[in-house]
Amino acid sequence: MHNPPMLLPRRARLAAVAAVLSLFAVGCGGAYEPRPMDSHWSFISATIMEPSCATVNCHSAISQRSAVDLHDPASGYKSLVGGLFVIPYHAEQSSLTNVWLTNAAPLRMPPDNPLPDVDVQIITDWINAGAPNN
Amino acid sequence: MRRLLFCALAAGLFILGFAGRAAAYPQFQFSSGTTRCSQCHFDPAGGGLITAWGRDESADTISRGGDGAFLHGVWTPPSWVALGADVRLAGLYNNAGGYLAPEWDFFPMQADAYARFAFGEQVSLYLEGGIRGDTRPPDSSVGGQLSTLGDRFISTDHYLMWRAGATGAYLRIGRFYAPYGLRFVEHIFYVQRYTGFDIYNQTYNLSGGYVSEDWELHVTAFTPPPTSFPDQLQSVGQRESGGAVYGEKRFNGMAMVGLQARIGTNSEMTRYQGGAVGKVWLEPAKLLLLGEGDFTRQVVTVGSGSAGVNQFVSYLGGTFFPVRGLMAGVAYERYQSDLSLSGTGLNAADVEVNYFPSAHFELLAFGRYQFFGPSANDPATASMFMLQFHYYL
Repeated sequence: MHNPPMLLPRRARLAAVAAVLSLFAVGCGGAYEPRPMDSHWSFISATIMEPSCATVNCHSAISQRSAVDLHDPASGYKSLVGGLFVIPYHAEQSSLTNVWLTNAAPLRMPPDNPLPDVDVQIITDWINAGAPNN
Repeated sequence: MRRLLFCALAAGLFILGFAGRAAAYPQFQFSSGTTRCSQCHFDPAGGGLITAWGRDESADTISRGGDGAFLHGVWTPPSWVALGADVRLAGLYNNAGGYLAPEWDFFPMQADAYARFAFGEQVSLYLEGGIRGDTRPPDSSVGGQLSTLGDRFISTDHYLMWRAGATGAYLRIGRFYAPYGLRFVEHIFYVQRYTGFDIYNQTYNLSGGYVSEDWELHVTAFTPPPTSFPDQLQSVGQRESGGAVYGEKRFNGMAMVGLQARIGTNSEMTRYQGGAVGKVWLEPAKLLLLGEGDFTRQVVTVGSGSAGVNQFVSYLGGTFFPVRGLMAGVAYERYQSDLSLSGTGLNAADVEVNYFPSAHFELLAFGRYQFFGPSANDPATASMFMLQFHYYL
């Protein structure tokens, strides 16, 4: 005996299609213009450095590769500025900015997910502003 | 027989000397004929040590055959004990740029051992431990803390649970992932990495919920391990305390919709997350479609005030099961770290083929290509290919 195929209710199917489409419907913002919050290390640390760099076997508190711990703003500032990876007012001399560029580093960082230009620019501007611990 | 037992025990001891994470295969929901994740896993939300049902399914449905029981059925633990272990070896090609790229590596990726002790019908203790895998050589810097086996030991899951039965209410306390979102074996997917559920992000939780045949609800309060705890019990990622809720409704044994929310906060920032998960099993096509999307509002303390960004992360994939023991999947991922800025979106295209020649064994090929907006600096891409051998005891 042939069983009819089981189907989802119509409303459920529409909801599923809408949910799928929403996955593609976002993602376009405006061009980058420096914002007040971009000049704060606490903002850079929480939105860029910690999610991108403080992963388990890299710059997390329990691994600290190359003696760099980026798991929170205080540790990150101490590692980068205290460790001379950042030279305040001189982004071009700071090794931190070089590790994001293909031809300037042995392995471009982060070695799994490259940082977008906008994030690199925000950090470059922060260094050139004196890398304040704010 | 004695020789086989000796080999199996030796393998087990080797694995105990190594370790990793609680893994799950969300692709098996519906496609294997099983609708609840907790049918195959002791964890009420899925992942980690598998049940006797899960072991049977691994042989009869998922792989090409064999005996899925612990130690291939050579020895059966007492009914109040369940044991297991996972080991993964991987070969990797990775190219994200740099003048030494691409990287080639072969490394032990995971070695975990699990034990679950039942005290009567409703109370159990779950313990997991192992060694952190690492793609790169040990770091000799003063900060490098992965130089000895003891440095690498970690226990990500250990909890005490009361559970009314296979379905019904439960309550547990300890360390584990709060139920939330898709929980793939590979931790690199954006929906895990950027929502607080990357590898070793497990928190200490008080969690409760209810699991029925066609719906389930999980509510969790979480906090990071105290800083006084040794590294072996520490978690990785942003140290937040907060709560998470996940609810799932299943339809006709072939589809589900999950809704979820999470709030995590610390002295520097607060993240508000909300999202949805969906799966549809298309039996005639042997195809499972699955997806997740999450919006995040991250509010950071800046000076004497605060500033926020809106973020979005998603996964959309399809997995095809052409014959028993084989599954092939493709997926598209997107993570935008700031929705107000163009060029902050990261995209990934994934291809994955898993072959299960018999129970206990898996071969995996995984390819990933990542790309984002036009870059003035460099080619804005990264590629990765991995071959993996997986054995579980």
